[in-house]
Amino acid sequence: MVATSHDVMPDIELYQPADEANALELADTLGSDGWLLGGGQDTYGWLKDRNKSPSAMIELTGIDAWKGVSETGDGIEIGAVTTLTEIAEHSLIQSRFALLATAAGQVASPQIRNVGTLGGNLIQDTRCWYYRRGLSCYRAGGNICYADSPEGLNREHALFGSSRCVAVSPSDTAPALVALDATMVVSSASGQRLIAAEDFFVGPARDILNMTVLNEGEILTAVRIPNTWANAEYYFEKVADRNVWDFALVNIASAMRVENGVIQDARMACGAVECVPRRLTQVENMLRGQARSEDLGAEAGELAVQGARPLNYNHFKVPLMANLVKRAVRA
Amino acid sequence: MAYMHIGKDFVPPDVIGKVTGRIKYAEDYTREGMVYARLLTSPIPHARVLDIDASEALAMEGVFGILTADEVYPDGEPQSTGLKILTNEPTLVGEPILALAAVDEKTAESAIAAINVTFERLPFVLDPLDSLQEGGPNAFVGGNTFGQQGFTEAKWSSDQVASFRAGNAPAEDAPTTGPIPTFSIGDLEAGFAAAEDGFVYEGSFTTAGYPHHSMEPRSAMAYWEDGKLYLHGTSQSLTALANDMAGIIGVAKEDLVFINAATGGGFGQRARAGSIPSMAIPAKMSQKLNRPVMMRITREEEFTIGGARQGFQGWIKVGFRPDGVMSACDIFVVSDNGGKGGGADAFSAADCISILYQTEAVRFRGASVATNTAHRGAQRGPGQNQIAPIISPIMDVAADALGMSRLDIRVVNSAQTGDVGGPQGTPLTSAYMPEALRQAADAFDWEGRETRRRQRSGSKVTGLGIGQGYHNAGRSGMDGIVMMGADGRLKIHSGVGNLGTYSYAATSRAAAEVLKMPWDRCDIVTGRTDNHLPITSPQDGSNSIFTNTRTCYGAAMDMVAKMKEIAAADLGGEPADYDISEERVHQIADGSVGMTYAEVAQRAMELGGKYTGEAELPEELHEWTQIAASRLAGSAFMGIYHDPAHSNNPPGFTVTCTEIELDLETGKYEILDMVSIGECGTVVHPQGLKNQLVGGAVWGIGLSALERHLYDPQNGLPASTGYWQSKVPTYLDTPVKIDTGWVDLPDPENPVGARGIGEPSQGSVSAALTAAITDALDGHIFGAAPITTDMIINHIAGTQEDAVALAQNNFRG
Amino acid sequence: MEEGIVRYRRDVWGEEVILGVSWDLLWVVAVAVLVLLAAHAIVMAVLVNRKMDKPSADGRRVLRHETIDRWFHWIMAVSILLLIFTGVAPIIGLRVAWLEIHWISGLILTFVVVFHIIRSLFWQDFKSMILGPRDFGEPFDSAKKPGKYSFEQKGMHWAVTIVALTVIVTGILMFVQIDTPFWDRTNSMPEDQLGLVFLLHGLSTLALVALAASHMYFALRPEKIFYTRSMLTGWISEEEMAANHDTTRWSPKEAD
Repeated sequence: MVATSHDVMPDIELYQPADEANALELADTLGSDGWLLGGGQDTYGWLKDRNKSPSAMIELTGIDAWKGVSETGDGIEIGAVTTLTEIAEHSLIQSRFALLATAAGQVASPQIRNVGTLGGNLIQDTRCWYYRRGLSCYRAGGNICYADSPEGLNREHALFGSSRCVAVSPSDTAPALVALDATMVVSSASGQRLIAAEDFFVGPARDILNMTVLNEGEILTAVRIPNTWANAEYYFEKVADRNVWDFALVNIASAMRVENGVIQDARMACGAVECVPRRLTQVENMLRGQARSEDLGAEAGELAVQGARPLNYNHFKVPLMANLVKRAVRA
Repeated sequence: MAYMHIGKDFVPPDVIGKVTGRIKYAEDYTREGMVYARLLTSPIPHARVLDIDASEALAMEGVFGILTADEVYPDGEPQSTGLKILTNEPTLVGEPILALAAVDEKTAESAIAAINVTFERLPFVLDPLDSLQEGGPNAFVGGNTFGQQGFTEAKWSSDQVASFRAGNAPAEDAPTTGPIPTFSIGDLEAGFAAAEDGFVYEGSFTTAGYPHHSMEPRSAMAYWEDGKLYLHGTSQSLTALANDMAGIIGVAKEDLVFINAATGGGFGQRARAGSIPSMAIPAKMSQKLNRPVMMRITREEEFTIGGARQGFQGWIKVGFRPDGVMSACDIFVVSDNGGKGGGADAFSAADCISILYQTEAVRFRGASVATNTAHRGAQRGPGQNQIAPIISPIMDVAADALGMSRLDIRVVNSAQTGDVGGPQGTPLTSAYMPEALRQAADAFDWEGRETRRRQRSGSKVTGLGIGQGYHNAGRSGMDGIVMMGADGRLKIHSGVGNLGTYSYAATSRAAAEVLKMPWDRCDIVTGRTDNHLPITSPQDGSNSIFTNTRTCYGAAMDMVAKMKEIAAADLGGEPADYDISEERVHQIADGSVGMTYAEVAQRAMELGGKYTGEAELPEELHEWTQIAASRLAGSAFMGIYHDPAHSNNPPGFTVTCTEIELDLETGKYEILDMVSIGECGTVVHPQGLKNQLVGGAVWGIGLSALERHLYDPQNGLPASTGYWQSKVPTYLDTPVKIDTGWVDLPDPENPVGARGIGEPSQGSVSAALTAAITDALDGHIFGAAPITTDMIINHIAGTQEDAVALAQNNFRG
Repeated sequence: MEEGIVRYRRDVWGEEVILGVSWDLLWVVAVAVLVLLAAHAIVMAVLVNRKMDKPSADGRRVLRHETIDRWFHWIMAVSILLLIFTGVAPIIGLRVAWLEIHWISGLILTFVVVFHIIRSLFWQDFKSMILGPRDFGEPFDSAKKPGKYSFEQKGMHWAVTIVALTVIVTGILMFVQIDTPFWDRTNSMPEDQLGLVFLLHGLSTLALVALAASHMYFALRPEKIFYTRSMLTGWISEEEMAANHDTTRWSPKEAD
């Protein structure tokens, strides 16, 4: 028998490793029983609602090696447990990759950004309210979707890439990192692998239970941003119901190289329209060599939303997404 | 009039505690041996409990016991709507079935998870129109409405429901049902005939019925000692709530000590005990276990049992004569009455139109239908505020059609002293709406800004809006007590709840004013009922300022009269020869002949009898006040008063002007400027009034722009069970600055000229904001509150959603 | 929530309902089939030593399977293998976009099975596949030879028939629960019934895995491989027929 509201933390082991090796070993040993804890903003709701029941938490914020921003040979590296506030306010990121600083600065609320980490923002679970309520839906290992049905409340759900589950990626920083062609550094006891930001996220067709390709025992430890798009012309915009403490209805991150008003190259991604940040490759291809204009923006917007499959209540995302692409192009 | 206290700011005594966090709310108290209760609530929108197997839970270590509906209601549950303490027939998800007490909350939760409840699932319904339809499901076993005949079924034909859903006028004979199903003022037909050469608007509308969002959940802690029940709880009216809570718990009034020093937000759902029967659970559990019991209510539970506004699905037709006078209004509202009965919001909405716009003819019809959703009850301006954002854009469209200014059409239709309103044609005690409109327009530079109307700048367009709010704002017939000991300090006994408005303190100042007491020589005695507090009205309906300045004023006047009597008796002359000043009662002719207040109080205690409340108490005192007075009797000098009921309607009015800039590409807008003016008689506490105007503005933005209360239509699950999902406005959704002001003209039926203001301050902002959105979109009337980002984008894009019809709770998923 | 062969979950209102089969059984089935087939292989290896030579494939050929039936068999085989692979992939943690391949394969399987049923009822010798009392004696009497199909073949056929039909019917019921180019999904099926459908689909999948493995094993066994050849080419030799079949009960046409 279940009650409808718990709101009490269950008994849970808390591990607070102080170094990388210890954390990776714990992640390896505990496997799916070890919940990775960053700022806790996605964690505590799950646990207090008793909708996820790991037996242990591995707190990652004590590991200095996974914190902070540093320059590398061809770009920068940001530790995964760096707070969003630090990223939003970091002078190097602001000066070179303002796209990410802007995106990080629009996540949730100041209080959440103060404790929330980049890693947490990237690997946070989807916000579909049916799933968050603890219902045994596809994403929770069940055999049903409550959101995608004739009466489902799916205003915030996906336009693209649905496969039984119609949940969307809630992250603001993820589209920015896809647009910046970042690389995710994933560590485990058996070593390290590098994954392109675009390939880091996974949709329900391939894995309905997870939002990223992280395997058990693996930890996202850093994000590397190459200088490829440094100081490009950036555009980030998040449209949410509320201006603070909300998830995007649609967001867009765009990086462009423009010379004399002509787009030399572009990289764009939209969030909250698919389970993964949606890279707009067709739009990018169309834009190259074109002069920025209102008409080009409108054309790009139309191209971006081709193939969208709205659900009951999210038709508005189609013109909204088209408009955001338009704004990014003409900006 | 020059006042010593009225109209001046002061620091209410609880401010420091609130700022420092030291003030205690119910959840902050502990007691030795205290155990923790948690609720098992219904996971099903409508069900019958067939069996409860708690054997495994009760065998767990640290578990003390459970409490069920059968124990709470040994003679069976009341066969009516209304929230129950616990129930075996839940009519909404989240309704408490049983409580379990354990050594801590974690243990309690684990034990609750081990309880097996067998339910029989019953049909449920979430949209009142689904229930109205013939053959449609009912929220209760006995029907979908509850009235004097008990449960009954209200049904329309399928054609009637389909036509109403499609936005058409209900048939003349459309069945009505509800607490107040119909009223008619004036000649409707003549009113619309007069509008034939003017302007007539007709359309459908929906408003969301969303919850109260009190920051403090309705947690409570209780223990029994020496036959008395000590209940730490939450309320927005202290003695009124305690008086009724005694009955719900089944304890004699004299044996209940209700402790409630501060409340984290009331907004209508904590005014009356019937809205918070869950506070009886720790009381009953404590009685059963003989231990103090703390029951913390979770945020989600606060949403499910905390109640919500009634949502509307309505149709309205409004006629304006060529001179702009609103000559007729015909309105039909199907109200969502929720799973536990609701209120008469729709009636109040129509009543509001009649008063606020002085409409010549008004017809109201409605059907109030139960659904298996949250308990519905009074929420800040219940009815008046739902209709405010619906009617305001209609005024604007009419003004444009008639070639009038949007300010002028409101002036033409505004209420003034001497006007009447509502179905009974009740006179207003006073009204200064034209002054309020003028003051707001001047402060906002309405005429000057009109040039910016609908101006485009890139993808952005400017919208201007003006809105009005109304709520009847004052009751009477309550009691007041003031006391004074040998130290000469004035003790003002206040039964007013401390719901965050500081009205308990502001109203007390009427007593200080009468006695010309320096504020630092006054103590407000309140916070717990064993401080012996007089009865007051439930503090809903913006009434505290009007109601309790009358009682405090009266009690102080009684004390002044007694002072004069004592002085005359001791010092010679008649009482009429005496006056008071500087804490002395003295002869008018020779100020040196007199006594200090301390001396009078000392003398009063020596004299006893009526001077200390041992004799000659007002006969009409409420039973609760009688108990309080009897316990105070003989302890100090007493001033006591029963306020006779007045008959007219003291209105609270507000006017708001706002300017927005709406981005046609994102559907988002920024509120650039906002001015709200209060028209509430004499201002008692400027800072308190400002707080009400600004707080009401935030609420108005929520009503017009954001707030929602969704239920999954498939399964009846609440989707808005937290601040994030229900979209309460945040700091960045409100303007940087909200300017406030007030008319400050006295009301003759209040001794200090004051009327209430809490509720309309939301309505006028909602009305103004909705009008501004309509303005920015070239006069497009959505007929909805809220108007959310997606609705704006869809409108601009011309999106044709092949989605299900709107319902007030599920306006957008 | 795992209990034996069934997994349970909470429905939308918190009541326990069936979720489906416990996929731990996949490993149980895999191991059991491997053990049984290995045992069979060992026993046969011992027996073969004592047996005579295989009949010759040379000489006159008789028609065992018509072209259309061979196409049917191989299309069915491919679709079933694809269905098993795509169905099992997410269970064993392979991140592949399996669902569309799965339902397209399922549709193909359904189509060919329906085709086969109709053809077998009206255009094929349906009686040749009927299991009669005589068939049950066959394994115990080396003198008894079968007609066109041996007891084992008939057994395998009917087992596959039952399992395939179950997997197809439950698969179709599951198919209507997902979005496809033809329709949008609904939640029209009560959650407890949905769980039952998933359970039956899972159980029949497990049986299909076992049957497919066994079938492939026997098809590749040296003494049976001429049947596999016949499924490719259509014919068996007269000698093979005489050695394995009662010619009075099966008189095939001569192969082209």
